[in-house]
Amino acid sequence: MIRAVVAVGPRTENVTPSTTPVPAPGPAGDELNALLARVATHGDKEAFGRLYAHFAPRVKGYLLRIGAQSEQAEDLAQETMLKVWRKAQLFDPSKASAATWIYTIARNIRIDALRRRAKDDLPAEEPMLTPEEEPQADAVMERRQRDARIRAAFGALPPNQYDVVRLHFIEDEPHSAIAERLDLPLGTVKSRLRLAFGRIRKELGELDV
Amino acid sequence: MSDRSAHRHPRSETLALYAAGGLDEARAVVVATHLTICDECRLEVRDWEALGGIALETVEPAPMSDNALTDFWARAEGAEPATLPASLRAANDFPLEAAQPLRRYLKNGLDGVPWKTVAPGLAQHILQAEGYRPGVLRLLKIAPGVKIPVHGHKDNEVTLILRGAYHDHLGVFQEGDFADLDEDDQHAPVAIGDEDCICLIATSAPLAFKSVVGKIVQPFIGL
Repeated sequence: MIRAVVAVGPRTENVTPSTTPVPAPGPAGDELNALLARVATHGDKEAFGRLYAHFAPRVKGYLLRIGAQSEQAEDLAQETMLKVWRKAQLFDPSKASAATWIYTIARNIRIDALRRRAKDDLPAEEPMLTPEEEPQADAVMERRQRDARIRAAFGALPPNQYDVVRLHFIEDEPHSAIAERLDLPLGTVKSRLRLAFGRIRKELGELDV
Repeated sequence: MSDRSAHRHPRSETLALYAAGGLDEARAVVVATHLTICDECRLEVRDWEALGGIALETVEPAPMSDNALTDFWARAEGAEPATLPASLRAANDFPLEAAQPLRRYLKNGLDGVPWKTVAPGLAQHILQAEGYRPGVLRLLKIAPGVKIPVHGHKDNEVTLILRGAYHDHLGVFQEGDFADLDEDDQHAPVAIGDEDCICLIATSAPLAFKSVVGKIVQPFIGL
């Protein structure tokens, strides 16, 4: 389902196919959003169990990839899912999909863990956990459509840009990590990211042609 | 979008790095403070976070241990229910210095800053935001008419104008404006107007002064 949306983007024929993994099959985005909504409104444990089955291993995979040790990755993944459970009522579908919301929570929990190690400190404030008002239905729809366009624009990137963008969001020290992993000069990584981000912004109608 | 191309906002690369959690704490504070007053940039960050959510779906899942869900419910048992925090978003008439991300580092506000004079018309204060990645967060106060010597940046430097205004080759930067400078960018900002220009600046590496004067001044101002 997710892959099908990605494949909508036009890929040129003279480029080598990207070898990067495609989103694994599982509940589709809308279904995940609906599960999270059920957790938010009814504290639905069954719905949460399904969210957990989908996201906990992905969050753990993300944390491992971004530098956590195995035990810590599992612990921080638990912490992430605990926050999802406890803060589900604060989920605002006009701002983010379930996947996006959980990504930002995992990201912040990891940063807080690093920060705690660096020095004792207060947890960071989390804008994603602070709804401004009751989300409007059309704003929710707008967000979903925008996410679909982002997904399509991402899927339509040339493979060499697709790879750097994908890694950008799941690597520690993204620029240098990507350079190392893909064996590219740092300047090339930066220019590919710049091009890719510009292209996505253009697809969203945020940049003049 | 003409406003965006006028260099008064963070670049897309900077906002995307912020969304990926890849900025050092110093630069993240400057970006987050700008976001409290800029709807457009906040929306863009949401777009990059959406891309992060999509990237999360491409991560190879790492199986949780067998009893993970049981452990989870045991931990969740004692968890208190969610409470709604007050909105972090600053209203438009809210002074920029009181914006939440900055207030954490600036408990007594801009008027309570223990400025240290580093040169005539130039004072600074280092904020404790070393965080988990190297980076320096500082406040710089430039008296009207005072010019900072021409300098480049070894890495990215981000600046948010908290009060007053300065002028450089890119134009006028005033309260709320954001300057996002890369290693290729050189500038020599001069404070303009009647009041001191106060900037919040984050660097991940020391500034690179070009002139002899700049190089002489640098050790004193510690930039």
